[in-house]
Amino acid sequence: MPDAGARVRELRALESLAAGRTAVHRLHPLAKLVASLVFIVTVASYGRYDFIRAAPYLFYPFIMMALSESPYKLLLSRVLIALPFCLFAGITNAILDTTAAFTLGGVTVSLGIVSLATIMLKMYLCVMAALILVATTPLTELTAQLRRMRAPSVFVMVFEMTYRYVGVLLEEVRSMIIAYRLRSGKKKALEMKHMGSFAGHLLLRGFDRAERVHAAMCCRGYSLKHIPPARRRIKPSDIIVMLIVCVPSVLLRVVPLY
Amino acid sequence: MHMADALLSPVVALAADAVGVAAVGISVARVKKDEFSEKKVPLIGVAGALVFAGQMINFTIPGTGSSGHIGGGILLAGLLGGVPAFLSMTAVLIIQCLFFADGGLLALGCNIFNLGVIPCLLVYPLVFKPIFRTAVSYRRLSAASVISATAALVLGASCVVLQVMLSGVAQLPVGTFTALMLPIHLVIGIVEGIVTAAVLCFVHRARPEVVTASLAGGKLDGIPVKKTVAAIAVLAVLAGGALSLLASKNPDGLEWAVEGTLEKTAAEAPGAAAVVPGAAQADEQSGHPEESSTAGALHVRAAGIRDATAVLPDYSFSYDGENAAGTSASGLIGAAITFVVAGAAGLSISLVKKRKREAAGADA
Repeated sequence: MPDAGARVRELRALESLAAGRTAVHRLHPLAKLVASLVFIVTVASYGRYDFIRAAPYLFYPFIMMALSESPYKLLLSRVLIALPFCLFAGITNAILDTTAAFTLGGVTVSLGIVSLATIMLKMYLCVMAALILVATTPLTELTAQLRRMRAPSVFVMVFEMTYRYVGVLLEEVRSMIIAYRLRSGKKKALEMKHMGSFAGHLLLRGFDRAERVHAAMCCRGYSLKHIPPARRRIKPSDIIVMLIVCVPSVLLRVVPLY
Repeated sequence: MHMADALLSPVVALAADAVGVAAVGISVARVKKDEFSEKKVPLIGVAGALVFAGQMINFTIPGTGSSGHIGGGILLAGLLGGVPAFLSMTAVLIIQCLFFADGGLLALGCNIFNLGVIPCLLVYPLVFKPIFRTAVSYRRLSAASVISATAALVLGASCVVLQVMLSGVAQLPVGTFTALMLPIHLVIGIVEGIVTAAVLCFVHRARPEVVTASLAGGKLDGIPVKKTVAAIAVLAVLAGGALSLLASKNPDGLEWAVEGTLEKTAAEAPGAAAVVPGAAQADEQSGHPEESSTAGALHVRAAGIRDATAVLPDYSFSYDGENAAGTSASGLIGAAITFVVAGAAGLSISLVKKRKREAAGADA
């Protein structure tokens, strides 16, 4: 059974990373958001065999990780989650496309292998860009930025609530699974016929809890209509950093160097 | 079934993102109309978190020895109603993408469409709900869950195939890809449907009002579900059309698909060839069930044309003849050097930072 506790720890680990105080963390969330998106779009726009042209983009994750003091092991383990589906598509490319691309030391490398490598590289770059964004920006800042960008408050609140309750429900699931295992002779997984009541109880408990919490919030004056978007000015330095990421990314894509 | 950034071309991804944003916008407007929306928001959040936590609960599938987990839009829709379920699913997908690297940031639109729009805004109102015209019973609840969960998953999987094919990143023939994806998702869908039914039946026994209210939701809130669906479809077509016109100017991954439609339309109406490909493209991107059969045929055709030409005009210059071997090998060495330099840059920054910290520590 996947370890619910491990997932909680994963979530916490990213959250504690986001609470860092490096220069990258202090950047305006909008600058980071725009830089990440431009980076991802340009990387994704590379063609099937553009392994070599996409390689320089590796500077971004490496330098950002170093600047933000993020542990590369933690982020790398996250990248592995995205691996299977891409690997599946990539390996089928490698099998199907056997046209020789070039020979390297006597070994012929097929176009399929090149495209497999390209997909892997693109996957790594895109996933890292997203991970670096959340590892350097606390969620509250991201949602505040979303509100400033006039994202509908109902949706932003659904998002925040879901995020908060993921942690709560995961803890709950963990204790429920432990209880189930202890009473069922340490079964590895639930029996399918127990799923209904297991998940159902979890949900109903969650509903009750959410209602109580929301009532308590309302008692303290919380209302969906009156959430002022937190003010934070974007500074010239934020824009400069944003341009340092965006301009070379786009230039590299548009101007063919080799 | 989460789509990754690396498997999509930006045009397809951005078109899907536009559709996703539009669907969220419409849904928010619908939820806001509901008087009790503010009270519902925490419940929407909890239900989304349940889908998330549900992935941690493994159960054994009788007779197979393998295991599965719950998850999915149909369960959420059964608990909350279609439109709130869609919002909740979107939030879950964003969290999965940002914090667990499950699906990419650029691919969000595709994932929202495949796993959110299809189950919550298409299958739920069109398949799940009509089963309860008369009354809610366990048998109906079970049948509705299994049928809709299977339909939603199979439709979603075919859209994944469609989007990857449109992007032109993977090389698998459409037929093989579909043949690989669909049976797996059919089985997963049936299992998911059974578990969804179990959960919904339990909730209905404990709190009948939750399930019946969500079923009545569409009518009570005055949410014209069909209008919503139509609006999203139109937006999908518009977004796809606009973006694929852009793409045809600067052809990338979409090139061969556009080429295919061009040939087809050129044969039918030579004058309209310049305009029609965009629209034909959009039809495919909307991933609408009614259109999927024609889109499939189009793909087979386009793939045939691509295989017949198979020159890779954009890239062929670096792969023809002996010179290509030299350029590519040296390019590879260049890439390796880039990797090392980038790594060294990162490492040296970390080292300098560490020194500074240590120096600061020593001073203190």
